[in-house]
Amino acid sequence: MNPFRQILLASAVGALWATAATAQMTDVGTPRNETLIVQTFDGRSSNATQMNPLNRYAHWRGFRELGWSYLWEMDTSTGESYPELAVGFPEVLNDDHTKFRIKIREGVHWSDGEEFTTDDIIFTIDTAFKYRDKLTNVTNYVTFLKDWKKIDDYTFEVETQKPSYDFVTRMGVYTWGSHIVWLPEHVLAPIGDEIVTYNNEKPVLLGPYTVKEYDPNGFWQLWEKRDDWERSGWGNLGEPTPKYILYKDFGTEETRSLAFVQNQYDIDTFMSPDTIEAAQKRNPAIETFAPVFPFHDMNDACGWGVYFNLQKSPYDIKELRWALALSLDLQQVGISALNGQFKSTALPVADTPVTRPIFHEPMRDFLTNLTLSDGYKPFDTSFNQELVKVLAEQGVDPEKLPVGDAIVDSFGFGWWKHDPAEAEKLLASVGIEKGSDGFYALPDGSPMVLEFVYPADWNKILQRLGFSIADSWRQAGFNINARQVDNGEFNTYMRTNARFQMTIAWNQQCVFNANWRNNWRQWSPEFVLPADSTDADQRLDGNYVRITDPRIYDLVAAGATVPTDDPKMAELGRDIQEIVVEEMYMLPLMSIPTTIPTNNTYWTNYTKADNFYALPYSWWSSFKKTVVNIEPSGK
Amino acid sequence: MAEIGETAPSLPAPAVRTSSRRKETILWLLTPRLIIGLTILLVMGGGSMILPVFAPVDPSFQGSYTRNLPPSFDHLLGTTALGQDIFWYLVYSIRNSLILGIVVAIGVTVIATTVGLSAGFVGGNFERFVMLIVDTIITIPLLPVLIILGALIRGNTSFLAVGFIIILFGWAWDARTVRSMALSLREREFINMARFSGANTPQIILREVFPYVSAYILVGFINVILFAINTEAALAVIGLSKVEVPTLGSIIFWALNFNALFTGHYAWMIAPIVATVTLFLGLFLTSTGFNAAFATKRGVQ
Amino acid sequence: MGVLTFIAKRIALYFAVLFIGLSITFALPRFMPVNPIDGYIGELQSRASATIAPEGLAELRKSLEELYGLQGSVFEQYLAYMKRVVIDFDFGPSYTYFPHPVSSMLAEALPWTMGLLMTATVIAWCLGNTVGLVAGYFYKKRAASILEFVGILLYPIPYYILAISVLMIFAYIFPIFPLSATFPVGDMTWAKVGTILYNSLLPGLALVLAGFGWNILSMKALAIATSEEPYVTFARLKGTTHRTRMLRYVFRNALLPQVTALALSLGVIFNGALLTEIIFSYPGIGLIMRQAASGGDYNVLYGAITVSIIAVATAGLLIDLAYPLLDPRIRHK
Repeated sequence: MNPFRQILLASAVGALWATAATAQMTDVGTPRNETLIVQTFDGRSSNATQMNPLNRYAHWRGFRELGWSYLWEMDTSTGESYPELAVGFPEVLNDDHTKFRIKIREGVHWSDGEEFTTDDIIFTIDTAFKYRDKLTNVTNYVTFLKDWKKIDDYTFEVETQKPSYDFVTRMGVYTWGSHIVWLPEHVLAPIGDEIVTYNNEKPVLLGPYTVKEYDPNGFWQLWEKRDDWERSGWGNLGEPTPKYILYKDFGTEETRSLAFVQNQYDIDTFMSPDTIEAAQKRNPAIETFAPVFPFHDMNDACGWGVYFNLQKSPYDIKELRWALALSLDLQQVGISALNGQFKSTALPVADTPVTRPIFHEPMRDFLTNLTLSDGYKPFDTSFNQELVKVLAEQGVDPEKLPVGDAIVDSFGFGWWKHDPAEAEKLLASVGIEKGSDGFYALPDGSPMVLEFVYPADWNKILQRLGFSIADSWRQAGFNINARQVDNGEFNTYMRTNARFQMTIAWNQQCVFNANWRNNWRQWSPEFVLPADSTDADQRLDGNYVRITDPRIYDLVAAGATVPTDDPKMAELGRDIQEIVVEEMYMLPLMSIPTTIPTNNTYWTNYTKADNFYALPYSWWSSFKKTVVNIEPSGK
Repeated sequence: MAEIGETAPSLPAPAVRTSSRRKETILWLLTPRLIIGLTILLVMGGGSMILPVFAPVDPSFQGSYTRNLPPSFDHLLGTTALGQDIFWYLVYSIRNSLILGIVVAIGVTVIATTVGLSAGFVGGNFERFVMLIVDTIITIPLLPVLIILGALIRGNTSFLAVGFIIILFGWAWDARTVRSMALSLREREFINMARFSGANTPQIILREVFPYVSAYILVGFINVILFAINTEAALAVIGLSKVEVPTLGSIIFWALNFNALFTGHYAWMIAPIVATVTLFLGLFLTSTGFNAAFATKRGVQ
Repeated sequence: MGVLTFIAKRIALYFAVLFIGLSITFALPRFMPVNPIDGYIGELQSRASATIAPEGLAELRKSLEELYGLQGSVFEQYLAYMKRVVIDFDFGPSYTYFPHPVSSMLAEALPWTMGLLMTATVIAWCLGNTVGLVAGYFYKKRAASILEFVGILLYPIPYYILAISVLMIFAYIFPIFPLSATFPVGDMTWAKVGTILYNSLLPGLALVLAGFGWNILSMKALAIATSEEPYVTFARLKGTTHRTRMLRYVFRNALLPQVTALALSLGVIFNGALLTEIIFSYPGIGLIMRQAASGGDYNVLYGAITVSIIAVATAGLLIDLAYPLLDPRIRHK
């Protein structure tokens, strides 16, 4: 047979095989009912062959959850750390909180059968320090640690540069962020200096899964359960159910939604609300996190908000910032951009079951009684009730809308009033009045054009929100130059004082529990740059909110030496937030609505609002619990 | 893609042999094809320019109406998921796209004609230099350049910035065509006649050559409109244009963003496509209609 | 003009075009308001839930500047770039995926892009020209108008829409093709090659449909114009058949501009790559470019655009050198 005919035949066979494949086998040749298929969190990974965690690599394709393992993990539904590789928590050796002794579990094995010991830990830290100027992914711990030494195979000691009350979350995991990935000394030590460019293509791992196969083009990666999963880094959580886990990028939302309806995969990431609704109509196996409004998980540690360049005119005018807040019709924005499926928050910290009793409940009265200089009370406690009413008017099935106390749980405590008249009054008090074109003009009569930047289609929901917010402000008389930008430009913009005006962004206070230190310690004069610094000379490395208020500096400094479980920690956090709100230093909007729809055709018992055992995220530690708890549907 | 980077350089120029100065009725131009084309353009162009005066609100404002309404008497094409009236949005879109197309077409035609004719007639080192620039620009792929410059486009307050960049990288094709026509004209007798009777180059280009190539320029002009509208649409569809300004591309961008086909919101997606295709049909029929009419006129059957 | 002078001049032009093209390529990304270092730091931050120590970022920034070679004046960077590209054909490391070399990123992606898009472009060209020729030669017949109408209808539909429609019809409503294909890895077998071909059919179809319309229209216009030429009339009077006239007289002469267009549309391939790869989850250079543009990865952009410029310029050169072989009129000059 000549090659050409062979190819023809092969494609015919391929066609048959692919059609049949949807029934029992996956495209990668594993049995469908033994394979959990997950849409990758951040799409296709460029440079998929790079798996050396010392350099930048695409880690959201299973490495974070299935591959590596950490000293301490975090239970994201409670905000509490728990030991994973470590035994218990570190022993503090001095009053300064700079010296620690850590014990690790015995009997944890690498995927090639070698035991995991403190030699691996020392090797990893040594390597990071030795090549710190050539590696691109070690910065966080080389600036944190000062000294380290092995005591025995299962004990080591470290010294940090500064007092570290947050040692566990810095050396382990904070929400999803994990900085140190331990490396196998027996595999990587022989490589020597080459480690700085080494790809680590067949990685030896600590987790219960190993990389079976991957696409060099970065569309997918297949994981296989280790036979000795019990001796893996988190084998103590129980046996993971699926034999295989496939991470795959199913493309744009248009194609993704179609593939999801065809049961081609099981867990999605962010999908827009309208698409989920349409998908559910076509395939009842598709489920959201909750069966009622607002349907999705709202417990991300970060929220979304609008940020101003407080060092730049006219954003340094408090009245202008308040006017922007009162001109923003968040109900309308949330309905346009998110079908009303959002949970508002007026506080800098996102409103989650963990943070609510610590911050939101105690600060409720503060918000309700807050008064502006002219005696106006801006907080709208009926925001959530109104929203429910509007949604019902728009034809949402009343059975899916919350009632009574559930309204506050679903939509939050309230938000600022939508009152453009009050905004106009506030602005008039500082000389900003509407010109003949209907737009506000500066006191000297020159036009006031406000630049507002938001993500382009690399974050579809933020893009929609940004677009709707700009529209809302325009209708209230602000001349907004709205710009959607790419990821890279977004980051450059945020960090460049001379260019930054306003953005919508993830907030800089992803505070997950009473410990706000990991984030807010950047609110310090150390991280303030001159108002005119450009991207050629200096860019911000912290304090993106551009807080210059000495009252906040003092509170943050006071927090550095308070133990995390001391009630004073939470109290300081509340004091800081009061100042931020009064001054309107930032305009927090809502929790991040994390949609994560699932398809229960092949797998069931996902974590859901009414079957809650972990947060639903497939890219956080909670996925470890999902993997252990899901059950095959028997198909 | 067809819509990007391909103007229609190889549409042949009609070699009009009759003097355009002859006084007679222009009714010979009106072939059925041309009549249909011009009617479409007149209806769509005129409609989109005049109707906005009667628009109840700026259709780009969100939340003006209840969201996701089906087509009705009040909302001829229904409303979007953002609470905008699709009909009015479409009217604004056609207007803006046409304005963009015409602006680009004027820019490209002026530059291409000037550069092409002068290169063809001046010749020598000047021609070599100009053609070097032209050839270079032709080799630079447009879409990557537009992606890179996308940040500039979106950062600009006017969406006509897109037009400016299209002109910048789009004139070279046409300049090449005009030059090759000029080259063949250069050797024709009536040009030599003019030259012998003492006319200088600019005079020759203006009086003798320009009327000769004007038929091509008209066709080329229409093609550039087509090209510009389509390029902007392609950019908008992938979010690289100023998508808050209604254009034929941005309306599709939003329909895609809200997954309109999947959610069953067909009018939102199909209306702009039908409008685009109709507009293109109008432009195309007009362009080929002129072409055919010139051909008929010169007696070739 | 001697043949040798002609060739020498043409080759000199080729290098001049490359030189200017590369210089423009160098300048373009500098207009991007993106700094590759910030792009990377932003990603690190979001991955670490914004808890990276600010002190650490300051240190990282410094070492990245050094590693990326972004120090020195723009002119020095330009000289270094020209030297690297022209002499070593090396585009340096990717910034975003440091220290992975750009040339190997491109080498992995190019075969996919070229394989799919070249094939589709050539098929669309052949089909479109055949239909266009028939429609143009018999332009007074009703059937010709219908063929042309197909072209007019296909041509203006934005490619994105066309591709999504194709995907909806052939992968969702009639699930014949995969929605987002999985390409096999490892050692190639015939079965794997088959799967790759099969997975490429749908994007190929969309590309052919998109390219097809324009080819019909331009070929038809050329064919009409050519069939008006006196030599065709002469051939008709001589009593040759329709078939002969269409193929030998009209086609041969109308073909030349189309060949040039095909060569130059090589550059357009890079345009099509992007949308195709996004919609069909097809590997290739378009996605790499898009990602690089968003992250400010200059080196990758330089590499991709340079490859494209070289391809188009070389195709143009080859066509011009081969022209005398194709066109008798030029040969005799």
